[in-house]
Amino acid sequence: MELKFREKFSLKIQRLIGWATFPFWGTFLIALMRVVGGYKVQQMREIRKHFKELKRNADGPILVCSNHLTKIDSIILNWSLASIWAYMRSFKIFSWNLPKRSNFYQNYVLRLMCYLGSCVPIDRGGSREAVKKSLDKVTYLLSKGHTVTVFPEGGRSRTGRIDLDKSTYGVGRLVNKVKGCHVLCVYLRSHKQENYSEIPRRGSRFYLDMELIQPKSPHSGLRATRDIANQILEQLVLMEQAYFATAR
Amino acid sequence: MTEAEVYEKVVGILGKYSKNKDALENISMETSIIEDLKINSARLVDIVLDFEDEFDIEVDDDDADRVATVGDGVKLILTKI
Repeated sequence: MELKFREKFSLKIQRLIGWATFPFWGTFLIALMRVVGGYKVQQMREIRKHFKELKRNADGPILVCSNHLTKIDSIILNWSLASIWAYMRSFKIFSWNLPKRSNFYQNYVLRLMCYLGSCVPIDRGGSREAVKKSLDKVTYLLSKGHTVTVFPEGGRSRTGRIDLDKSTYGVGRLVNKVKGCHVLCVYLRSHKQENYSEIPRRGSRFYLDMELIQPKSPHSGLRATRDIANQILEQLVLMEQAYFATAR
Repeated sequence: MTEAEVYEKVVGILGKYSKNKDALENISMETSIIEDLKINSARLVDIVLDFEDEFDIEVDDDDADRVATVGDGVKLILTKI
């Protein structure tokens, strides 16, 4: 898992540049979502307050695990969880992401936004060494107390529901490797979202539910990895059921 | 246990998870578990755990990461039993 000094340094520089320029691109993205997308997050003030409390009570790093329906879920998540000023005060709560390289790294503008927005690209389905390198980076970041977001389903759900068939166990390995790691399970969904899509439909109102858990397993190795990943997925399924039972 | 015996058992385990029954009929040591048998990476972990149970061995994360083909699985088991 050991990263080279150069790799750690480049993550630090990426973060510093992201933080320093955050008021500009953060404001731009929020304006884009509000004005062009017409997006709203329901009960945003309560969500942010709740997240602040959870963060304060968690005595370890937080791995955010969310369902995945659109390509901009992680942007909406970061927007929902704290204000620009809260992020400026403590950028550690601004979540690192692991976007699929082929989705976001074909043009320079998206590449720049990903760099500023604390992304560590991952070559899903690529060489094991390349995937391992990306996972090593986020493991390192988590161990240093940064917040990281991953999507345990391994991609946008084609069914529109938590897709257990496509799920990956990598998330279990991450939690297992980082001592004291908490998992913030998040269920995010627009009232207009029937299925998966590139971006949410215009005028979307987002529902967000979150639950902080600390999954544990009596086993070790791969069995623990699977146990922990399953606990996270089961929590997300419960939250999805709650959404369809009450919020719709 | 001989390589052939291990291979037979490995194929039996893979049969429970494979979505591509045609590839299963033409399976060989070179068959890719993910690409040819259409098994996703999470199920690959389940398969390695089945190897542990079946052959009474322990496989760590790094060894599991190296299992890409049927042959990789067979060789891994042979080094552990």
